[in-house]
Amino acid sequence: MDRADLDLFERSLRHATGRHTGPALDAALDDLGWPDALTADRRAAVSILFELQGRENASSGALDHVLRGGLGLEAGSVVLPALGSWSPPGRLDGDRLVVAGLGSGVGEAVVVAGNAEGKDVAAVVATGALGLRPVRGIDPALGLVEVTGTVDGVAPEPVAGWEAAVAVAQLAVGHQLVGASRAMLELARRHALERIQFGQPIGRFQAVRHRLAETLIAIETADAALDGAWEDGTPLSAAIAKALAGRGARTAARHCQQVLAGIGFTTEHPLHTYVRRVFVLDELLGGSRSLTADMGRNLLATRRLPGLLPL
Amino acid sequence: MELDEFRTSLDRWLDENAGALAPDHEGLGTLDQQMAQLAKVKRLTYDAGWMRRGWPERVGGLGGSTLLRAYLGEALTSRDLVEPGIYSMTEVLAPTMIDYASPEVAATMVPRLLRGEETWCQGFSEPDTGSNLAALSCRAVRFDDEWRVTGQKVWTSLAQYADRCVLLTRTGSPDSAHKGITALFVDMDSPGITIRPIETMHGAQEFSEVFFDDVAVPVDRTLGDEGQGWAVAMDLLPYERSTSLWHRAAFLHRRLQLLVESAPPDALNPTHVGEVTQLLYAFRARSRATQHRLARGERLGPETSIDKVLVASAEQAVFDLAAEGLAGDIAIGDDHAAERWRTEFLYSRAATIYGGSAEIQRNIIARRLLDLGSDR
Repeated sequence: MDRADLDLFERSLRHATGRHTGPALDAALDDLGWPDALTADRRAAVSILFELQGRENASSGALDHVLRGGLGLEAGSVVLPALGSWSPPGRLDGDRLVVAGLGSGVGEAVVVAGNAEGKDVAAVVATGALGLRPVRGIDPALGLVEVTGTVDGVAPEPVAGWEAAVAVAQLAVGHQLVGASRAMLELARRHALERIQFGQPIGRFQAVRHRLAETLIAIETADAALDGAWEDGTPLSAAIAKALAGRGARTAARHCQQVLAGIGFTTEHPLHTYVRRVFVLDELLGGSRSLTADMGRNLLATRRLPGLLPL
Repeated sequence: MELDEFRTSLDRWLDENAGALAPDHEGLGTLDQQMAQLAKVKRLTYDAGWMRRGWPERVGGLGGSTLLRAYLGEALTSRDLVEPGIYSMTEVLAPTMIDYASPEVAATMVPRLLRGEETWCQGFSEPDTGSNLAALSCRAVRFDDEWRVTGQKVWTSLAQYADRCVLLTRTGSPDSAHKGITALFVDMDSPGITIRPIETMHGAQEFSEVFFDDVAVPVDRTLGDEGQGWAVAMDLLPYERSTSLWHRAAFLHRRLQLLVESAPPDALNPTHVGEVTQLLYAFRARSRATQHRLARGERLGPETSIDKVLVASAEQAVFDLAAEGLAGDIAIGDDHAAERWRTEFLYSRAATIYGGSAEIQRNIIARRLLDLGSDR
């Protein structure tokens, strides 16, 4: 897509994510041709949509598309890893499949990825054979479903690599976290300019200014890592970007909540919806803490840093 | 592509000339040794043409993208051929001269800096003027075709080695703030200049106090116009927060790699290793984007304060990790390697102080990037 196409695409997506969420957003994305864009220009389609979803606190089944595309599948709703994990949700033992994962838009059948004798595979499983628990949790509006169960007699088929597929999905969630963080920062920034205490806007006080500056630094750090990860395209850099986006969003939530103070603690102000969302998104496909510890263990085992992003 | 070709041929040249380029000293070396090494590497790379790429032809350069300069510094620092802090002066001061010196002065002087024939310093801070740069008071008074400068600077890096100084002076009334500042390019061997080096915590005389007692500076050494010194300083600072930081990141990557290789088993906390690696990765990605913006001719501004905050955080994180994994070496080791870790650890404490403190960077971010208005 050239610059003009991208601008138009972004405007349409902004409109859609600003008005719709859930199945209505999925329908709007289909109308806009987002699934085709995902094939044609994956980076643009993922980064623009997910950042907007984060900003607008909208949800959709787009992550499902991203993972499905990465696995080289045409159709079917793909089960996401269990919360906190980036491993496939299925564990194969002969023709028995043990499933523990999360779903977003779950239809009559789902695709469960797993690993059989070192090869990435996936099996189509009738939803009726699995236990589905609509998740309320800290963020009921996200519309997740917990998918668990054991199914016998499955016939898994080979799929494209899980590691690469989940890496792109991590970038998608990373962009969503950045979008949500930017939305929180804007809410806090506006409050800092409008709220008067001691005869002046609280945004004059250095303690407040530095919290907001710290938030922007955290966001730009994550955003830079996301750009870098798209450039070099390795699973390791996607994990770095996801971890930084998760940690950055927690930083943003903490500082913005403090700046928004009393009003930000009520349901009359939208901040809490973002605080809830980023808590779950940080854990989805690997939380910042576990991704970071895992990366550190691997680096210490190999004693080799990731290669340098070339100029 | 220009950069790819440059990278390949420069890497090959550096390999072929590794012997001639290598430092004469072992370990980190003294500042004197580092300065001599810097001059040697600059001369060799200038004479072979590498140091001239990415600089305009009118100052002795060979033209081409500024990315070539970024890569040259990266290659030199990541091979441990130059100390990135002292190398960075070129990237900070040469662009200012190109933008603000008269064409004749720039054409004469910049090649000397690039070739390592001269060292330059930057006379900004004063005893009463640290973060509040616009309050500086080192006075310059105009008499016919010369300025007479009287006052004091401090924290002037490399002043005792310097042949020239980019000096900020007060030419307006004492309370004229940023409006009454003029930048001058001063010969450091002028009568009336006294330099007193200060020993830092990391054991180097890296910076000095510089006293000016009625020092004559020809008027054609004015950078920009009279009263334009604030603009000169503001245009210089983004350079201080761009290419030289890219070089610093390459250096930090090298040191972190060595730390991960050499720390005793179980001495490093995996989470801390992961965090530092991530931070350095993010900084490099951010700095890369800044380098590309610079190469496209975009004007760098307050957003480089984020680059500066990130590199300072990354530097302290790398050496905090070293202090964790190599605590014994840093505390009581006396071989070259231990001495180097200790020196670098101590020096890293200043990363959030020099070049605009971490607090000043956050003030800039709040006012200029978040548009929170004045804090006063």
